[in-house]
Amino acid sequence: MRLFRRYTPLLAQCILLLLFSACAAQPGALATAPAPTTLAPVSVVQIPLAARQPCADRFVSHTLPFATGARLREIRTYESNGAGLSANDLDGDGDLDLLFASIDRNSAILWNEGGLDFHVQELADPFTRSAQIVDVNGDGLLDLVFSRRGLGGISYWQNRGASAAERFVLTPLPGVESYAYALAWADLSGDGRLDLVAGTYNTELKQHGIAAPETDERAGIFYYEAGEAGYTATRLSPAAEALSIGLTDVDGDLRPDIWVANDFGLEDGVWRWGDNQAAWQAIAPFAQMSHSTMSIEWGDIGNDGKLAFFSTDMNPYDTSPGALARWLPMMNALEEPHLAGDPQRMANVLQVHETGGWRNVAPYRGVEATGWSWAARFGDLDNDGLLDLYVVNGMIASNLFGHLDNGELVEENQALRNLGDGDFAPVPQWGLGATASGRGMVLADMDGDGDLDAVVNNLRSSALLLENRLCAGPGLAVDLRWPGSANPFAVGAQVELVTSQGVLRRDVRASSGYLSGDPLRLHFGFAPQSGLQEVRIHWPDGALSTVTELLPDTRLEVTR
Amino acid sequence: MNATLPAPTLTSSLSQTRFPLLDLLHPRRFGRSALLALAVGLAAGSGLVLLVGLERWMGTALAILVLTPVAVGKFREDRRLFGATAMLLSVLLTVQGGHTVEHIVQWAQYYLLGWPMRQANGLLSAANAEWVHFVWNWGVLLAVIGLMRGGMRNGWAWLLLGVAVGHTIEHSYLLVRHYQVLAELRQMGVAGVTAQGLPGILGQDGWLARSPLTRNSFLCRAPGLTTANRIDIHFWWNVLEMGMLLPAGHVFLKRNH
Repeated sequence: MRLFRRYTPLLAQCILLLLFSACAAQPGALATAPAPTTLAPVSVVQIPLAARQPCADRFVSHTLPFATGARLREIRTYESNGAGLSANDLDGDGDLDLLFASIDRNSAILWNEGGLDFHVQELADPFTRSAQIVDVNGDGLLDLVFSRRGLGGISYWQNRGASAAERFVLTPLPGVESYAYALAWADLSGDGRLDLVAGTYNTELKQHGIAAPETDERAGIFYYEAGEAGYTATRLSPAAEALSIGLTDVDGDLRPDIWVANDFGLEDGVWRWGDNQAAWQAIAPFAQMSHSTMSIEWGDIGNDGKLAFFSTDMNPYDTSPGALARWLPMMNALEEPHLAGDPQRMANVLQVHETGGWRNVAPYRGVEATGWSWAARFGDLDNDGLLDLYVVNGMIASNLFGHLDNGELVEENQALRNLGDGDFAPVPQWGLGATASGRGMVLADMDGDGDLDAVVNNLRSSALLLENRLCAGPGLAVDLRWPGSANPFAVGAQVELVTSQGVLRRDVRASSGYLSGDPLRLHFGFAPQSGLQEVRIHWPDGALSTVTELLPDTRLEVTR
Repeated sequence: MNATLPAPTLTSSLSQTRFPLLDLLHPRRFGRSALLALAVGLAAGSGLVLLVGLERWMGTALAILVLTPVAVGKFREDRRLFGATAMLLSVLLTVQGGHTVEHIVQWAQYYLLGWPMRQANGLLSAANAEWVHFVWNWGVLLAVIGLMRGGMRNGWAWLLLGVAVGHTIEHSYLLVRHYQVLAELRQMGVAGVTAQGLPGILGQDGWLARSPLTRNSFLCRAPGLTTANRIDIHFWWNVLEMGMLLPAGHVFLKRNH
């Protein structure tokens, strides 16, 4: 009894602390790779990668001959949201070309001539937001798709395979009539064709004269199912502030779901296909989510076969008094009511699956705050077999940041290295902390040397190519081809690289991140001592192929 | 302040009762006047808020003002009956209890009424200023030290002292940051922007969560301590303080009165 009395205060405090700590425990769901059913024979060509430049233990910045927003005298919301870009091999020369959207001038292709030399081809398609390179019609040629500012809708440039000047022809997309801000492509119906999900940014539509966007039948979140004669539209929601759309398996049913990242207080929307109802059903898989979700990214960050989802938001990475003072006037002005049970928090969110469901671990993994963040990408930047994280940030809006020079919140892009134990740590020494106001961004091997470079579409500054000159391990690139199918670039395929040190996983995407497209070419980095065993390809139809006898620092062209 | 406190007296039999704190806090002969003052204060305060449009915090302050003379009389009697330390305990329990109510109101404003964080200021919103929190918590800490010097030394009291020290450090940090941010705003030529409500040591975006010194350490993984919002953090600070103060006072009165 005496002992009990003595330790009762301590026990009570421990209980209180435990109660205090319990606030953050949250449930979620699981995502896994599909189980293969048939074996698909493939032919493989292994092409040596380009020799690397002497390493410098950092990225080297190159200015690209393209800039968006530079012509605007004043940038206000929502010109401030900038534009995206995409990287893919448009002319089949083995080099990744770049497609840039622009809010104030023509969009442009930057043809990659090798050696990080580019020449510009303007497209007569101005005032664009999202830029996507995707084989829309399944003819084996990569087409271009843009969403346009305001009421401009979606533009589709079909690749006719002609010479460079006449290659792309503006063509209607039958049945696609909505306005659009964010776009994403994937085979959602399972018929092999790539379907489209488009979402509007209703706040911007109001600026363009649509007083009540939710009552306008061209505004909202749309699922466009591809068919023989065109697209069949299903409006998933009239409410939309869509900055980004992710098509990935959130609920673990082995089918891609639709995740729309909404700005402001509108919660992100997630839909799954309900077989019983033969309709898209809204679900709520996340106990927490970003408030103003700018972009969505996913990857197997633990090399354990489980996806993690990352979403970006506005949260200063620098909490020094000077940095907070730069943010405060805007934060005070934008404060919104807090709805009961609101799962949103103004911070990046990293969802990992734990017992009971998805849980936000961003605060504990060092990724919760990366500034006024736009695009985020997972990629193995240092070729150590682990997916690192790169986030571009910054804001320009004279109506929000009038107290700052040129109305610009200047921030350093954030590179975070995956430490292998679930944690991420900033690596400013990598030289990725560019201070131009980044919006769309892709990680792609632009010089074909086996490591990932970064390309950023900056607002009011020239686009940047950050060449990877880290002293890093070897790499392996994988291109999938599936000629004769409706999905010749195997969008949706999942690829595993089996090494002596673990299994690395990537998926082929047409689009993700912020207003941007992904390279169809997959990149794997690995430690020099890793033995390469095989590449397993889970094709979108569930078939499995394996490739053995792998050589490091090569590009595999795998044709089914 | 503490040196002037006389030793606990044995002029009453608080230790004989089951719940001596209730006896200490009982208004005794001030019961009627306390009720009357409360009724008048509430009626006047809420009436002026509702009818004249007086700000909510002014109405609350008026009600507290009306109650103050009765409270002073009661505390003087506590001193006469039980000694200075018991009186100090009575004062601390009363004001800290009221303070906890204020935090509960803030919590309700944020979670139940859905008010934005910066508007969920409780009933005495004008008092939700960093310097007020700073002064208040130093006051509480000094009162706890005074109580301990006056004889309230038991396990709970030591825990209370630890919590009060922690809470005071948190508010000292907040005050320093508050004025640093204000100075930065002044340098930028920004006026009329409040720097109230910044993260402190604990909670979301606080020092523990974001310092390079704690990054990727177990300290960053403490749920709640690195993720809770400011309203929750300070609600729990006060719950902890009251949670320690009540048993500390109980044990003290049982042993010394």
